[in-house]
Amino acid sequence: MVFLAEWWDLRDLGNGVGAFLEWLGDHGPDWLPYTVSAIVGSITLLVFLLTSLLMVAWVERRLLGRIQARLGPNRVGPWGVFQSIADAIKMLTKEAITSANVDRWVFWLAPILVAVPALVVFAVLPFNEGMVLADLNVGVLFLVAIGSVTAIPIFMAGWSSNNKFSLMGAMREVAMLISYEIPQVLALLGVVIFTNTMRMNGIVGWQDEHNTWLIFLQPLAVLIYFIAGAVEINRTPTDIAEAESEIVAGYHTEYSGIKFGMFWVGEYFAGFAIAAIVATLYLGGWTLWGLEEWVPGWIIFLGKLYGLFWLFIWMRGTLPRLRIDQLMGFAWKFLLPLALINIFFAGLEVLLWQENDLAAEAVLPGFAIANLVLAVVLIVTWAQLLGRGRPQYRPTRARLVKELGAVVYGEEA
Amino acid sequence: MEVVGSSVGFEDVGSIVAFWMLSVMTVGAALMVVAVRNLIHAVLFLILSFIGVAGLYLTLSADFVAVTQILIYAGAIPVLILFAVMLTPRAGRDNAETFLQAPGLVLAALVAVTMGAIALVTDWNEATRGPFSETAEAIGEALLDKYVLPFEIASVVLLAAMVGAIVLVRED
Amino acid sequence: MSMRTEPFVVNVGPQHPSTHGVFRLRLTLDGEKIIDAEMVVGYLHRSVEKLAEGRTYTQNIPFTDRLDYLSAMSNNLAYCMAVEKLVGIEVPERGQFLRVIMAEFQRIANHAMAIGSFAGECGVWFTPLMWMFREREKILDLFEMTCGARLTTNYVRIGGVSFDIPPEFMPAAKALVKELPERIAEYEALLLENEIIVVRSRDVGVLPPELAIAASTSGPVLRGSGVMWDIRKADPYAVYDRLDFDIPVGTRGDCYDRFLVRMEELRQSVRILEQALDMLPGGPASVEVPLALRPPVGEAYARIEAPKGELGFYLVSDGSPHPQRFHIRSPSYINLTPLRDMVLGLTVPDAIITLGSIDIVLGEVDR
Repeated sequence: MVFLAEWWDLRDLGNGVGAFLEWLGDHGPDWLPYTVSAIVGSITLLVFLLTSLLMVAWVERRLLGRIQARLGPNRVGPWGVFQSIADAIKMLTKEAITSANVDRWVFWLAPILVAVPALVVFAVLPFNEGMVLADLNVGVLFLVAIGSVTAIPIFMAGWSSNNKFSLMGAMREVAMLISYEIPQVLALLGVVIFTNTMRMNGIVGWQDEHNTWLIFLQPLAVLIYFIAGAVEINRTPTDIAEAESEIVAGYHTEYSGIKFGMFWVGEYFAGFAIAAIVATLYLGGWTLWGLEEWVPGWIIFLGKLYGLFWLFIWMRGTLPRLRIDQLMGFAWKFLLPLALINIFFAGLEVLLWQENDLAAEAVLPGFAIANLVLAVVLIVTWAQLLGRGRPQYRPTRARLVKELGAVVYGEEA
Repeated sequence: MEVVGSSVGFEDVGSIVAFWMLSVMTVGAALMVVAVRNLIHAVLFLILSFIGVAGLYLTLSADFVAVTQILIYAGAIPVLILFAVMLTPRAGRDNAETFLQAPGLVLAALVAVTMGAIALVTDWNEATRGPFSETAEAIGEALLDKYVLPFEIASVVLLAAMVGAIVLVRED
Repeated sequence: MSMRTEPFVVNVGPQHPSTHGVFRLRLTLDGEKIIDAEMVVGYLHRSVEKLAEGRTYTQNIPFTDRLDYLSAMSNNLAYCMAVEKLVGIEVPERGQFLRVIMAEFQRIANHAMAIGSFAGECGVWFTPLMWMFREREKILDLFEMTCGARLTTNYVRIGGVSFDIPPEFMPAAKALVKELPERIAEYEALLLENEIIVVRSRDVGVLPPELAIAASTSGPVLRGSGVMWDIRKADPYAVYDRLDFDIPVGTRGDCYDRFLVRMEELRQSVRILEQALDMLPGGPASVEVPLALRPPVGEAYARIEAPKGELGFYLVSDGSPHPQRFHIRSPSYINLTPLRDMVLGLTVPDAIITLGSIDIVLGEVDR
């Protein structure tokens, strides 16, 4: 990576910040650069995420409208671009009703905490080589850890609402989250096996060095992670915990006003987080096969992030919802075995590669093709094994019966 | 950017501030766990205490252990405890006064005295080597090299626990 | 070792996004499994049957609009047939054909709503509903063209229809009927092959045919359970005996089969419309009927195959301009009676889907 490392190089904003912090370190006490970098970095992330939220909320509504053969918001501003701001104002000014018998502290704390884990995840994601808030050596594990903490505020919200529907939503949510943590971790492990490091910038560097994206080397893992990530953030087809047509609004039924706004914000932040993680680990992060020398890396990263979020919007508009036991069965019986087999084969391939000290260019395309074939074969055979191809599940049409009063119940279609 | 307190000693201001804040959070939350009436509140304070412990691990530059602490103790164990709480009937869910106060106090005092004595008498070694740069790698190598037998035995114990749980709740 | 659990009661409705109106279902749950279900209806009771006893027969036609407010044409048709049976009026042929055309368009519009909201309850969150509403909008435009109203049409009158169709109706109707089959194929491709819809609704809410017949269900609910029974074939009215169409029937009695039956009925309705629009004769569309109609003393019951099932009107006349008894046999209300047996043992989302597949409208249930 050829960067100029000058403070005025816009392609990597970390250079300017680094230079400023060095100046601070020279001219002030020792602890000042750290605190300033932490505060400035956090505020920048927050501002970036909120701006993205406003933009993406509008995009989502227009896109959903397109999918549903209708216009999206088109009154507030040209093409309705200020709709998000109108929504934000509405949520801020609406009365935040608190029912009488709720558990006050927990009820009040849950919406605040729900947006925090997604925000914290962004601290380890690199927007460019120098633009990481905390380049932890255990970045990947950090992602998993924060993902596992997301269950707690949701449970708090559901439990403290003193509402049976909310409690049902919260219990469903927690069961779902812990079921999907394991396939998530195993899918991420596939990445770590290849790149031999858990540092996010290291993984991006590996992808840049070997001129490939990990999505080609680990197609099964990226699919598993994307699905598990979609479940973790309660996106349709898996928004069971807030299933609008079933339990009104699940764990956030009793919330209104800005408290509901925080749940909504938390859901979008988590969506960004998953998209950013997939972009970094599987799609090469801020690199684009050399394009990052002209286009700033963070623009490339943001492009990938929004592209993946568009996939989420697409899924939301077109897929129905699964039932909770079907969803958990899917995690334990389908994704978990596939993830385990994927790790096994990934380890085998890396072992072959390292032991025989083969050249990367020769070996990696072979691995890519082998993994792709493996993914397709595994998915098809495992689905057959689990009974998905049974005749009663194949789509049919209704029978046209001529004789009046005939009863054809139980006959083959 | 380096993690605050990556130097082994605690000379710099940042480390000291972090240590005291985290200690207050940990110990305070632990005290609240035993003091609050509501069991769910106790679980939430327990989570806070565990996060404090993870922070303390971070000040010792044990990043892998810190993140694993959050993953397991602040992510999975509270879920376990919450499910257990949900399965108890409503009457048993308050953290109410017990009638075993006197024995409890005596036992707690004994434990405190013992641990305080040990802490004061022990000759705490100064760490002689620098911080690890790759703790994950070191832990991984240790687990699969020197300590592989305890690792495998722990896996078998976990497997036994899972099988036992499934057998217990199976409806036949 | 078994855990001691306590069942709890959950109210689905009356304010709920997917109870199709103000309908309350008290479910007793054990965990997520339903062990008892109790329906509480009456939130939309407007005492139509009593109010109708104070108005003339013609003045009661707007009441029938508001029963199953999603298929007003069919309700009008059933009521007017009952009155004509009571009085002995013969409707001219053009009027009969117009009635059939409007009833079949109404069936397509109603099923568009039913299928769309069923898929919406499976979780697709409006996409199939919005797509099917395109066809429903075009049909409602046709209704507006003819009688000036989209929803509460008040079109079918005693002795015929209220207005003859305007000249722009025929080309628009023929164009719509021509493009409907490919639209239906599009919806079938979108929804039938969808694994998640199949998995959500196969073997869910099964209604065995013995129970269906015993509970007097009708319409797609009865046909989904495998019983071939359609009033248009069993007791033909208007000009259905001159038209050629088939009746779709399911084989497993679950929600998916009821959904399949409705999809196929869309195609059969298009078939009927093609024939009826071609065969539409000239002549008068209706006969003159006095405003304060005094039918002879007696009683009459007329039934049609409404989109939701067998809709019947039972009228008792005592010679005065007002009916003495005006009773509505509403299909939604009767179809709801086996709901408890259908949802026992299911989970709450399955119960919602089962309720959606019965396709009720609260105006009809509560009258």
